[in-house]
Amino acid sequence: MSGTAPEMGRRDGSFEREPARRVFASELRECRYQFKDGEDEKSPTFVLLPTGERSNRIFIVGTLTEKTRQGEQNIFYRGRVIDPTGTFFIMAGSYQPEAMQQLAKIETPAFVAVIGKPNLYQKPDGSYLASVRVEAITVVDKDTRDLWVLDTAAHMLDRVDALATGTSPDIVKAKEQYPSVDPAVYRKMAYDALAQIKM
Amino acid sequence: MDYSEVTERISRKFSKSGKEIDRQKVEGKLRRLIDEFGVQPSEAERSVSNELAKEFNIPAAGSGGGTGAGAGGATEQKAIAQAQPGDWVTLEGKVVSLAAPASPAIAQSGIIADESGGIRFVVWAKSNAPKMKEGAWYRIESAVVDEYKNIPNLKVHSGTTITEIEKTDPLIPEPSPIRDLRPGIGSVRAKVIQEWEVTHDRMLQSGLLGDETGTVKFVIWKEPSKEKLAVGTVYSVFYAQVDEYNERLSLNITTATIMQEEGDIVTATGGDVEIRGAIVHIAPGSGIIKRCPVPGCNRALSRQNYCPIHEIQPNFVYDLRIKGWLDDGEKTHNILLKRDVVEALTGINLDQAKEIAENNPLGMDEVFLQMRDKVLGRYVACKGREIENRLLVNTCERMHFESGEHAKLLNRAGGAP
Repeated sequence: MSGTAPEMGRRDGSFEREPARRVFASELRECRYQFKDGEDEKSPTFVLLPTGERSNRIFIVGTLTEKTRQGEQNIFYRGRVIDPTGTFFIMAGSYQPEAMQQLAKIETPAFVAVIGKPNLYQKPDGSYLASVRVEAITVVDKDTRDLWVLDTAAHMLDRVDALATGTSPDIVKAKEQYPSVDPAVYRKMAYDALAQIKM
Repeated sequence: MDYSEVTERISRKFSKSGKEIDRQKVEGKLRRLIDEFGVQPSEAERSVSNELAKEFNIPAAGSGGGTGAGAGGATEQKAIAQAQPGDWVTLEGKVVSLAAPASPAIAQSGIIADESGGIRFVVWAKSNAPKMKEGAWYRIESAVVDEYKNIPNLKVHSGTTITEIEKTDPLIPEPSPIRDLRPGIGSVRAKVIQEWEVTHDRMLQSGLLGDETGTVKFVIWKEPSKEKLAVGTVYSVFYAQVDEYNERLSLNITTATIMQEEGDIVTATGGDVEIRGAIVHIAPGSGIIKRCPVPGCNRALSRQNYCPIHEIQPNFVYDLRIKGWLDDGEKTHNILLKRDVVEALTGINLDQAKEIAENNPLGMDEVFLQMRDKVLGRYVACKGREIENRLLVNTCERMHFESGEHAKLLNRAGGAP
């Protein structure tokens, strides 16, 4: 009653922005499950990471290796961003005009930082594709990329550790949705990513 | 929850009027209101007290329809600092400030004080009490202390007797350390260490006061003859209203007595936080901005040089700032960078930004774009104070790759069974 109850996390009127999760391309590629938090049309959509965390927004840093312009009337750009573990598929359309202009301007290859929203699509053959709708993209330096690999590895190791003992709703849901998750796979993913940074 | 404390308080209140309450019954009522109906404890206490008062035929707080049975010897004379919510009190004090009544139901409101401290008072219009004068001493018999917005409040109702008394004490309150402030009325001796942008038309000034023990937000609302405080100056602030909101205290010093002091105070710099993360968004209104030149205003102007208060201001002053979001992967923090921090982080100083804004075809937008390209997506360590969910950044430095951190993580990832 003092206003500190846990359900008061979102205080009236004070908007809380969804954090940008740190995730490697290989983990995002394993995602199979997304859900809405709430019934509302505008309720945020979350992609559930296999390591047991919801993500409405992600922050990635990698190498933009190619970009293509598509569409006649509704122009949009697709691009591929490579991290030490795999490939992110990014896109920016006319609903993200600023992001699209930023992406259009960048010469490949370049280190880029991308803030965006992950989405899952099911392909006709039943397999899933995770793509990232870009909110903002900028050219960065290698130092930033290396920092991101450290940051992302640390966050993923934290998630893997929590998976062993944690009981949060996201962890419970992840164990339901991804019953075959092997923590060792994700530790190795972190190790391999870190090992690619030259000492 | 434990109801015995509240019950004890209610019991004490009524035993003063010579009434014995049925503790079990009272506790049961409280439990029902709080547990079953989700009533706030303070409201439940009030409700149960009023019900009992009616039963015993004692005028309830604010009801105005009583017979005055509780007057006279039924209440004890108290020092003002000892007055607690729920008490019936008789006290003597000096009216140290009067405020404009917030509602026609209120005849007078202000602050009354004695040597021990001050308390806010409200005189209800229907109490037909005589008007009190600022600076005069009064004996107030049989008033009720309740709580309004968590602050003790002395209610003068129709059963209260007010008599002016002969006393001309100057009455200078003892300032308390900021750390020891509690909701109610407080006096401090402190330095203005920051001035913030005002967030409301009726607000004259807001900022941060600090002394050796801590800092506290202050606000002055616009009223005739109110003046702003100067940053870096020490003041004695007597009888400020200490409000509590979201578990943070703030001082409303609109009706306080303020005296400029000599000398300086070494203020506590505690409360600084450091957040490391990536800058994930630069908000509109960042980059180079124009501010209103009217002394003390300093609001950001629109593109058309329009100030919300002072209208068109062609002789604006340029400034730099960055508003954005800093994200550590778990939480996103709203950050505000001032001019010197922006200059250090972007390498673009105010003169260079002015040059770009005035000569580039994109004008001020070009400064925004150049700054965004220099900071968006970068890892930084920001130090500053978190106030009202926004980090006011004092220093913001780019982070750099550390091989020690790298080695530690490699061990952690590979060292597990």
